[in-house]
Amino acid sequence: MPALSPTMTEGNITSWKVKEGDSFVAGDVLLEIETDKAQMDVEAQDDGIVAKIIVQDGAKAVQVGARIAVTAEPGDDLSSLDIPAEDNPSPKRESSAKETPKEQSSEPPKEDKPAPKHSGSSDATKKPSGGKAQKQTYPLYPSVQHLLKENGLGKSEADKIPATGPNGRLLKGDVLSYLGRIEESYAAESAKRIASLAHLDLSNIKVAAPKKEAPSKKTEAATEAPTSVSEVEIALSVSLKAVIECQKRVQESIGVFLPISTFIARATELANEDLPRSKTSKPSADELFDAVLGLDKIAGRKYARGHFAPQITAMPLASLGARAFVGKKPDILDILSGKKSGPRSKKVSTTSGTTAIAPLNVFSISVPKGDEKRGQVFLERVKSVLEAEPGRLVV
Amino acid sequence: MFRSVVPRAAPRALLRPVSQSTFCAPNLYFQGRLRRGYASEAEEKDLVIIGGGVAGYVAAIKAGQAGLKVACIEKRGSLGGTCLNVGCIPSKSLLNNSHLYHTILHDTKARGIEVGDVTLNLGAMMKAKETSVSGLTKGIEFLFKKNNVEYIKGTGAFKDEHTVAVNLVEGGETEVRGKNIFIATGSEATPFPGLTIDEEKVITSTGAIALKEVPKKMIVIGGGIIGLEMGSVWSRLGAEVTVVEYLGQIGGPGMDNEIAKLTQKLLTKQGMKFKLNTKVMGGDVSTSSVAINVEAAKGGKEESLDADVVLVAIGRRPYTAGLGLENIGLETDERGRLIIDQEFRTKIPHIRSIGDVTFGPMLAHKAEEEAVAAIEYLIKGYGHVNYGAIPSVMYTHPEVAWVGQNEQELKAADVKYKTGSFPFSANSRAKTNLDTEGIVKFLADAKTDRILGIHIVGPNAGEMIAEGVLALEYGASSEDVARTSHAHPTLSEAFKEAAMATYDKAIHY
Repeated sequence: MPALSPTMTEGNITSWKVKEGDSFVAGDVLLEIETDKAQMDVEAQDDGIVAKIIVQDGAKAVQVGARIAVTAEPGDDLSSLDIPAEDNPSPKRESSAKETPKEQSSEPPKEDKPAPKHSGSSDATKKPSGGKAQKQTYPLYPSVQHLLKENGLGKSEADKIPATGPNGRLLKGDVLSYLGRIEESYAAESAKRIASLAHLDLSNIKVAAPKKEAPSKKTEAATEAPTSVSEVEIALSVSLKAVIECQKRVQESIGVFLPISTFIARATELANEDLPRSKTSKPSADELFDAVLGLDKIAGRKYARGHFAPQITAMPLASLGARAFVGKKPDILDILSGKKSGPRSKKVSTTSGTTAIAPLNVFSISVPKGDEKRGQVFLERVKSVLEAEPGRLVV
Repeated sequence: MFRSVVPRAAPRALLRPVSQSTFCAPNLYFQGRLRRGYASEAEEKDLVIIGGGVAGYVAAIKAGQAGLKVACIEKRGSLGGTCLNVGCIPSKSLLNNSHLYHTILHDTKARGIEVGDVTLNLGAMMKAKETSVSGLTKGIEFLFKKNNVEYIKGTGAFKDEHTVAVNLVEGGETEVRGKNIFIATGSEATPFPGLTIDEEKVITSTGAIALKEVPKKMIVIGGGIIGLEMGSVWSRLGAEVTVVEYLGQIGGPGMDNEIAKLTQKLLTKQGMKFKLNTKVMGGDVSTSSVAINVEAAKGGKEESLDADVVLVAIGRRPYTAGLGLENIGLETDERGRLIIDQEFRTKIPHIRSIGDVTFGPMLAHKAEEEAVAAIEYLIKGYGHVNYGAIPSVMYTHPEVAWVGQNEQELKAADVKYKTGSFPFSANSRAKTNLDTEGIVKFLADAKTDRILGIHIVGPNAGEMIAEGVLALEYGASSEDVARTSHAHPTLSEAFKEAAMATYDKAIHY
């Protein structure tokens, strides 16, 4: 039973993901282990075959270090294997992961531990355990280089040494164990211990007792409030006579035809500047940007850009009373206040051109309750620009 | 960028001269505006982050860079959380400036610089702090815009598993829906039972960076990093500071015993007083001063301490109040931490939790690592945080920094280790700086020489520890560090020499 966390002493085997006789490759999930809080997969660190499963699914409270299965090298003949008696059942923490030294019989089976494995029985002088030997693609560490040179090993030799470092890097300890200066499995064990420190210890979590639910409803009740913010329609009649005259003048003088919609859009743009601040809207992105740049202090916080787009209705067609839902345009304010807008009509200012512009029109906008003044200011500005000095809109 | 055609800094006349407006700008402006408006209303965000602290804002920016539609909800009114607003950043401003003041007052004469009358202008010092803070928080706001993160100023609460109701700071409420939700609500100072925090006489770290005048006497309950840093600030500015700690050592559980003892000696030399193994029984704030009753932790002699200000710095606890966890059935552990798995998922898989509000050390840089890793888990399925190589730094003078395990932990884990250390008093640069207090100490595996922990007390320890973190991350041995060239004359040579002392012998000691 592998220790999956430094504090683990025993665990339950939830289920084996492999059967006896199955072969596996490094990274395959062998079994699932459950500790008091967490459930974890045990992955194979090396390729091999499951020779025998000793502790079956559902076993409870298996001590760390107890033998739970025996694996063999890939290609081993399982029928010829004799499984040595378990000689290290002690639940001692670190030693559990250690490979117990065994007589080198013809095919040494090994205990199933996540980290340390015999890399093979081929060479008795170097049977270092731990990570796989792999080609060292990174520059070797100075200590490693030094040790190799000192012991007359070439760079190619480095690729044969099992590496236990992060991402298969070859560490000083790996070379030392390869050279037989320290116990062969030691580097791997310490690597495993250090690797366990790299993760949050999420075993032994004690869930807090559920608190009594009392004040939870409050927030929800409050959430409903903004959706019911009522909207108010504001309207103002505007004469477009001056605009039409101006349009003619422009066409005559420079030959460019400016649609009425352009006049209106530009007037709207101008009128939206520096409106009294809305009480309901959150600051716009521009304001946030100004705040970031510290410009809000210069401009003052009293004014804010509006995002009104007036709905225009020709006077003879609709009376003031019927205006409320005539093609109300989707408005940024609807979005801000979370209100779904009704049926969406086309944006008059961009579509109408010259066709349906009567001399007297009603400009209307809908604003959230409380922002009537803001809306009123906007409309008055539109009116004054369009009626008094449309020429300003031409340039 | 088309919106920037309206010059932002232009003086706002009632009606601007039209010449400033580009030909078709208004139409473009409206089309853009409206399209954006619809989008934010109708669609669901890829990611909603509750909390704009270090965990939250880093996750938001990282998600924005990855092209996710992301919204970040923050109620403070400025981004950066505890760290930027009332934690790391303002305290470092005060630590640095109070250190300068203290140096000029006591030290420059010996260096051949004679300064006339030195006076403290606390108001100006606080202003300098605020300038640093506001610069940094606005910087984050800018980064949000740059990376298309929607910033929602308000208090978020779960309505259901995908919906967060937001009580906006400027009035009104709204709602955001997210395919994924990150909880990054951070932590708050743990109050001391029996003492009501008023942030004037009984303060937390928040009050300790905003005192209006230097207290004559100050008691710090808790000798951890926050307590010692803030104690240092006010001690340097003239307060008589007494630190009361329940445990037998300062610096909290992570600090190496030997380093803690050395640090305590150095801080005592600077004028701070320590009462270790001492329990605070209660306090009385009824008079103009505060009286704190203490007794030896193992029982025994009682004592009453008197102070103008008491700093409660006994730790921090996860903050989830008002988040509506009960609405979605999320659980915390007994210490209030949100329960997660190794990929930061709560038991509702699309809701993850990062930073102080969940497990692990409560450090800004840990939160930052988790934020990046959590986003990577989200978009790539794999993230990386090495909890075994997260540095801790205490910004007193000298600084204390460490990474990896300390001696007491290694003993408890029954690991055979060797140590090597090098004093700054033998380092040339420290000598020339007349700043020679402290040591670098390595702990390496006795057999493989792999570095297990590095502990530094000394000038610039906080910067120097980065090298140690890198060494740990790469599984380096002390020999690897020792064989790496370090510039001369620098303090970092002490680091190299300590590594040499670990695997072999130091040259200069």
